[in-house]
Amino acid sequence: MNDYVKDNRADRLDRVAMQLATEIAPERDLWPGIEQAIAAPRRRMTWLAQAAAVVLLVGASSTVTWMVAKDDRPVAMASPDLVFERAAFGGDYNLGPGFQDARNSLRAELDAELGSLSPEVQADVQANLDVIHQAIVDINAELEKDPDNALLQQKLLASYRQELNLLRRVSGLSRNVMTRSDI
Amino acid sequence: MGALLTATGSDYSQMMVTADRYDIANEAAWIRRAQRADARAFEALYRLHVDRVYGLCLRMTGNVSEAEDCTQEAFIQAWNKLTKFRGDSAFSTWLHRIAVNAVLGMMRKSKREHDRIQVVADTQTVHLETGDSGEMRDLAAAIDRLPERARHVFVLHGVYGYSHDEAAGMLGIATGTSKAQMHRARKLLAQQLEEQGFER
Repeated sequence: MNDYVKDNRADRLDRVAMQLATEIAPERDLWPGIEQAIAAPRRRMTWLAQAAAVVLLVGASSTVTWMVAKDDRPVAMASPDLVFERAAFGGDYNLGPGFQDARNSLRAELDAELGSLSPEVQADVQANLDVIHQAIVDINAELEKDPDNALLQQKLLASYRQELNLLRRVSGLSRNVMTRSDI
Repeated sequence: MGALLTATGSDYSQMMVTADRYDIANEAAWIRRAQRADARAFEALYRLHVDRVYGLCLRMTGNVSEAEDCTQEAFIQAWNKLTKFRGDSAFSTWLHRIAVNAVLGMMRKSKREHDRIQVVADTQTVHLETGDSGEMRDLAAAIDRLPERARHVFVLHGVYGYSHDEAAGMLGIATGTSKAQMHRARKLLAQQLEEQGFER
């Protein structure tokens, strides 16, 4: 086949493709399903999720700031490139095993090192973790009612990230404190 | 589209318009109202755009049921994200991006692509109601049989007229990959259609 025939065919393909219908009416009205799905009060959800996020942020930041202020040595920051698995939510999906492993590992590390911190700090850390856990429970409860709500999914993922971040930072700090007392 | 909006409500009666009265000014007003959680205004946007969104989903999936699911998912996602729409692109383009994401997300989740191709191949005589006729129908059927990536690129670039940059952005691939997939799609389509006397 020569180039002319090839080009001619490709042109014709493109020409016919551009004539294909781009607007096709669905065979049934899809609006009722959409209307039902969006009936959940969007703004109330946003407010709740944002409030939870603010509480988490303030709580975690306060603890870390207080602990940093206690220690006059520069704090070695943990590597920020912790890899999170992409998580999909809804009835059929859970967080990936990589995420669970990272969390379990950090939690075990924290538990092992928590003894080097004062009881007050331990209580503070636990209180912050409790707040995050409660937020996760609350968002999960809302997601059960509205499993496809993208905003809630994002907030849930953000909460898990907060939890991991807090575990990671506190573990790093406790290790730092312990090293200094050893010296 | 000739559907008449049948919404009721004190200030919504002014929005009872037929499709031929839709214009950019109306669309902008509906967007603003929908951003303030006005579901009736969002329904107007749905009526305005559903055929084009469904058409895209149907061309990309080749399956009525999946296209319906993706269309609904796209509009639900659009509702959830509507407050973030700033008008940097046309609303229809923004909506199309969401629809493409819905299609890709569904295909990732279902992992049924291989089975789906087989089903399409087995039932290729069943014609999707796309309004195509003659050689366009043959081409549409051939597009349905393309591998997933080649099909998506061909639909976005070849049928809907998006540039390779735009198509690549929607699909999350490199522009060069989009061009390569388009080349592949053309080649595969030509092979399929040659047997049907398309070039004569």
